[in-house]
Amino acid sequence: MDAYLGDAVLRNALLFCIPILLAAFGELLIERAGILNLSIEGMVSLGASATFVVAYSTQTPTTLAVVAGAVASALIGAALAHLTVDRNLDHATVGLALLVFSLGAASLLYRLVIGVQTTPARVETLTTLEPFLTQIPVIGPILFRQPWPVWIVLLGIVPMWFLLHRTTIGLRLRATGENPRSMDSLGVPVRRIRWSAVLAGSVLIGLAGATYPLILSGGWSEGTIGGRGWLALMVVILARWKVGLLLPAAFLFAYLDAVSFSLAIATHAVPTQVIQMLPFVLAIVVIGSSYGRARAPGSLAKRYDREARV
Amino acid sequence: MTDVQVLPDTRNATTAAPPARQGSARVRVAAVYGAAALAVLLLDAAVLVLLGADPLVALPDMLSSSVGSLPAVSQTIERTIPLLLGASAVAFAMRAGLINLGVDGQIQTGAIAATGAAFAFATAPTLLVVPAVVIAGAIGGALIAAPPAVLRARLGVNELFTTVMLNFVAILAVEYLTTGPWTDAATGEAIGRPIDLGARLSDLWDRGPHQGALIALALVLGLWLLLFRTRTGFMLRATGSNPLAAAYGGVDARRAVVTAMLLSGAIAGIAGAIEVAGVHGRLIFGMATNFGYLSVLVAVLARRSLVGVVPVSFAFGALIVGSDSLQRSVNLPASTTLVFQAVTVITVLVLDQTLTRRRLV
Repeated sequence: MDAYLGDAVLRNALLFCIPILLAAFGELLIERAGILNLSIEGMVSLGASATFVVAYSTQTPTTLAVVAGAVASALIGAALAHLTVDRNLDHATVGLALLVFSLGAASLLYRLVIGVQTTPARVETLTTLEPFLTQIPVIGPILFRQPWPVWIVLLGIVPMWFLLHRTTIGLRLRATGENPRSMDSLGVPVRRIRWSAVLAGSVLIGLAGATYPLILSGGWSEGTIGGRGWLALMVVILARWKVGLLLPAAFLFAYLDAVSFSLAIATHAVPTQVIQMLPFVLAIVVIGSSYGRARAPGSLAKRYDREARV
Repeated sequence: MTDVQVLPDTRNATTAAPPARQGSARVRVAAVYGAAALAVLLLDAAVLVLLGADPLVALPDMLSSSVGSLPAVSQTIERTIPLLLGASAVAFAMRAGLINLGVDGQIQTGAIAATGAAFAFATAPTLLVVPAVVIAGAIGGALIAAPPAVLRARLGVNELFTTVMLNFVAILAVEYLTTGPWTDAATGEAIGRPIDLGARLSDLWDRGPHQGALIALALVLGLWLLLFRTRTGFMLRATGSNPLAAAYGGVDARRAVVTAMLLSGAIAGIAGAIEVAGVHGRLIFGMATNFGYLSVLVAVLARRSLVGVVPVSFAFGALIVGSDSLQRSVNLPASTTLVFQAVTVITVLVLDQTLTRRRLV
């Protein structure tokens, strides 16, 4: 039973939830503005790689490394914004090209800076904190025996919701995602809103990448992300593009990840790989069953040419 | 609207150009692809300088190792085969309005099924085993394409996301088989036991490409005939270009979607079977990684044309073989090719759009 509901599993689930949630925040911002970002997996990987190489070569983790990860991802975001918003190219095609680009760039960056080493290069991960709150029975150790960014990200849901649903910027962003033409006719700067949403979103996705070397694995390899960027994209659909539903959706996948982690240690009855398949299989089942109720932003992935006659 | 419609650009300039401007369209295609090749060359040189190699030595090396001699061309052809089949699978599905992002996974399950067939029919004569291996590959690829096909046809679930998810499932299945039941203990890595020589594709001539090259070309031709010379193909294209009009005209859209997706998966699955039976002779964890994404890029570059995918995938194949030789000499990581290929596609997209907007050519 401990392999399913033990302290360690739930604690890991919450921890694994963080990058998925961060990346899903970013993707949600971008998609609510009407842009489809299919390069999320690559942006997470590139963010992770950039963070790692800076942390490794300076040997002073956090700030600078985190900035590097965010900037690397934002550069891909800028390309996405330019190609989709300014040049009005097909979102899916551009997204896939940038996905391939950033997956390759992540490896290339690692190779250029770290080089080829016999043992994989590593940095120290953030330490787990033990505040007095861990004394709370049952939930205390799960919730609070965590590195500090976990709390920031979890609490981040509130300002994120506030930004989208209680500010003018948020209203304009959402309305642009629904109907850019009517926003344009009201004099709302559609281009600026979309650019900002894509840049802000890709920074968040880059931060999601930064959590892998700095909190979770301490290293980087081509398989580090292993589809979790794509899972974040599924989380957005599963959460029906609503901020409030991102956490339960992300937790679902993170929980399966954590279970496969603990089962791999506890038992050899079921092959590890079969358990690792679960999040992906679940994603298909859940998307299939929830699809009818999901409603994507009206202009998502549609081209918008403001000079076109309608 | 419940369905996130994400469709490839169907309004690109060359297909839309009126007949009178066909000459200038050709100039334009040449200009666009030429400029893209130049961009990649410059980028390649820049990366080589960063790695501390001399581009004036490395670039000619790249060229001679990929297309410089007959054995080099044979090698490039062998690398082109999975890409050609993958890109045809993607282009074919695109014609029916579907984006098959699951070629990676379909190659893997095709390879699994092919390996399984090779083990099962080990004692049968070659004349029977090889077709069984190829057909098994097709079934393996079609099987994993089935859930996305049905979900799309029944519930309107966007196949883009479901096919990607299944890629990871398929890759994990290969990891399980190559480290578990089919492992070759002697290697100590995620590599499967070799299949019998009788189940393998032989070379067309000494040091030439294997028979897979002919299978691949025949399949592409078959896909083209199916798409443009049959009733089924017409229905697929009708559904792809305007689903509402097609439905109004009596096309069963669900059937068209399922047919297109399963065939697309089967073709990608055969690519996996050919990788096993023609190149590696066994199932290997990590073989043909990312070929799915590359296949989509090739299909986009070829403007969804089954004729166009042949030269484009050959060019990408040459780039991969050339980069492989650099990987040995200057330790260029294999995934750098991904960067180059993505840059090619983005350059073409941007130039094409600029020319359309400015009406230069």
